[in-house]
Amino acid sequence: MRVLTVDDSRAVRSIVRKQITEMGFEAIEAEDGQQGLEKLKEGEIDLVLLDVTMPVMDGPAMLAKMREGGSKIPVIMLTSESKRSIVANAMRLGISDYILKPFKPEELRTKMLKVLDGDELAPAGDGAAAAAAQEAAPAPGTRQFIDVMLVDDMENVSRKLRALLPPHMTMHSFISAQPALNAAKEKMYRVVMIDADLADVQSSVLGHQLRMLQPHVAVLALPLRSTNDVARELKAEGFDGVFFKPFTQDDMDDFLQRYFDSQDILTAEDNVLRAGPFHGKDERMGHYFEKLHELYAAALVKVASACYDEVILDLSQAPARQEKMPKAVMQFAAEAGSAGLDLRLVVNAETKKILAAFTETRDLPLFASMQEARAGKAA
Amino acid sequence: MSEGTSTETTKIAGWLEGVVLKRIADDQLVLPSIPGVVARSLEIVRKADFNFKDVAQVMEMDPVLTARALRLATSAAFGAGSTKLNLTEALTRIGAKSVKTLLIEGAAQKLFISKNPQIAGASRRTWEHSIVVAGMARDIAALAGSQSGEAAYLGGLLHDVGKPLVASMLLEAERQVVGVRNQKWIDTPVWVEVIARIHRKVGVALAEKWQLPDEVCRCIRDCSEYDNSDRSSIVNAVCLANALAKQNGFAVGPIDADDVGALVMIGRSLLGLGPEMLAKLCADLKERVNGLFE
Repeated sequence: MRVLTVDDSRAVRSIVRKQITEMGFEAIEAEDGQQGLEKLKEGEIDLVLLDVTMPVMDGPAMLAKMREGGSKIPVIMLTSESKRSIVANAMRLGISDYILKPFKPEELRTKMLKVLDGDELAPAGDGAAAAAAQEAAPAPGTRQFIDVMLVDDMENVSRKLRALLPPHMTMHSFISAQPALNAAKEKMYRVVMIDADLADVQSSVLGHQLRMLQPHVAVLALPLRSTNDVARELKAEGFDGVFFKPFTQDDMDDFLQRYFDSQDILTAEDNVLRAGPFHGKDERMGHYFEKLHELYAAALVKVASACYDEVILDLSQAPARQEKMPKAVMQFAAEAGSAGLDLRLVVNAETKKILAAFTETRDLPLFASMQEARAGKAA
Repeated sequence: MSEGTSTETTKIAGWLEGVVLKRIADDQLVLPSIPGVVARSLEIVRKADFNFKDVAQVMEMDPVLTARALRLATSAAFGAGSTKLNLTEALTRIGAKSVKTLLIEGAAQKLFISKNPQIAGASRRTWEHSIVVAGMARDIAALAGSQSGEAAYLGGLLHDVGKPLVASMLLEAERQVVGVRNQKWIDTPVWVEVIARIHRKVGVALAEKWQLPDEVCRCIRDCSEYDNSDRSSIVNAVCLANALAKQNGFAVGPIDADDVGALVMIGRSLLGLGPEMLAKLCADLKERVNGLFE
């Protein structure tokens, strides 16, 4: 599956490319409509993500040329333009959907999958996979996200896993391969966990089939603990990772952090970034701050590309730790400066006290509430 | 629309706009209310132990009655000040005696029903549209995580307040022309087009004169485009609700399907609403207006 992104912003193209490749698709880029048309001529494109305002040739002009030339490739408008007359004209030219910048990765993924739903979901060139995927395509818009799919022929495994997962997370469990494959045609799963020793089918084959139906999914094996390097062996068979039996809370914490915590650690809305609270043991605190830093850096690119002058980072729920917070805040401030953004920090009293104790952080603009930060002055 | 019809529309629209704007400026506007809403509200306030919330729940089905209550509550007689309040707060502020007076006045100014069944239907849909938009705007605000559900309801209810106002003037004119002078009245397309041309200006003039809450004024003035600098604003909820109502048949006159489709598409992304949420929003819309004119 090849997806062409036409956008004059390198930052936007970079973010979109990351999303597309994470979904298992190939990303092609063009920085204006003229280049976009040339890329369309070069090779088969399955979907176009099209900006509106661009130099040389804008999005509506490229779309008009595509349709004049008889191209029926689906197009999703990905733009900061919200004028209805422009979008209505694009609708007349047959756009499939619309995404307003700045956007959430989830929205891009859902809308891309919805548009591509009628087409093959497997990588090109694999006839069997394409046929399986064709059969799998459900009615547009009917897919629903489920956090975990478990395939294990022992029912007690399902009970144990359910007990360890947080209550808000959704899980579907199956004791054999066929119902799991059927479900993968109807729903979208974030993580698939497969018993490494299934009775009715080879686990790695099932993993491969499920991945064909859902290219974005993480597929984990559930082996028994062993003195052999079983994790390496299973990865060689195509699994993304392992989750050892019997399950432990420590392993579950790692699993949640790796596959589900990213969105909770930092949420972004326009130019406001909110750090989530830290849950878990103290020794995992380092991982929290590393992940926070990684997500912050990615979010900064989006804020800068949306042309904001300042970024507001709400740290009021982040852990107020003397050994972590000042260093993290210094990094946040330096990176905001490099991106040409003014950083405004919302902090609680404890964090404020910690930051005031260091020369490097004591003069940073700190605010007690989001309202104050938005206004740019302390109450 | 033929050239002759277009000329007739321009002539009537120009005349009516002048009359309505002058009446607003001179504070001489006679506004009709929906009889069923007034009657049910009166029933509630006649009880010794009524509460304002119950009255508000019925009164908020009538945009004109609601606008009048808000106006009264923000007037100098009741301390003016805050222009940010919901209908229950407005009724509480003006008190039981004034609420009763307001309703008795409303009962005296009943909505005239056109002899032309098409115009009567269009008139009814004008009011129904506002109620459907109001309910959906409140739901959209809630789904988008906004705390301003009640303000969104008022914004939706009053976003087209100029329409029932102009419609009622046209109905009054019809009563004079057909009922008193026994002359021929205008056709439905002209009736609909006259309202479409002047309602926005009339609504804005009314909102300014009556000093309706700021957010309501914004909805009347700006609800045909989204404000992407403030995604969760009430105007955006009303704009999407307005488009969805039209898409679901709660509209008066012809609609441009691409234009409405574009507004729905933009609104979905702007407010982060999935197709399942939209389907829920649009379910049972008819129930929201059932019995309104009985």
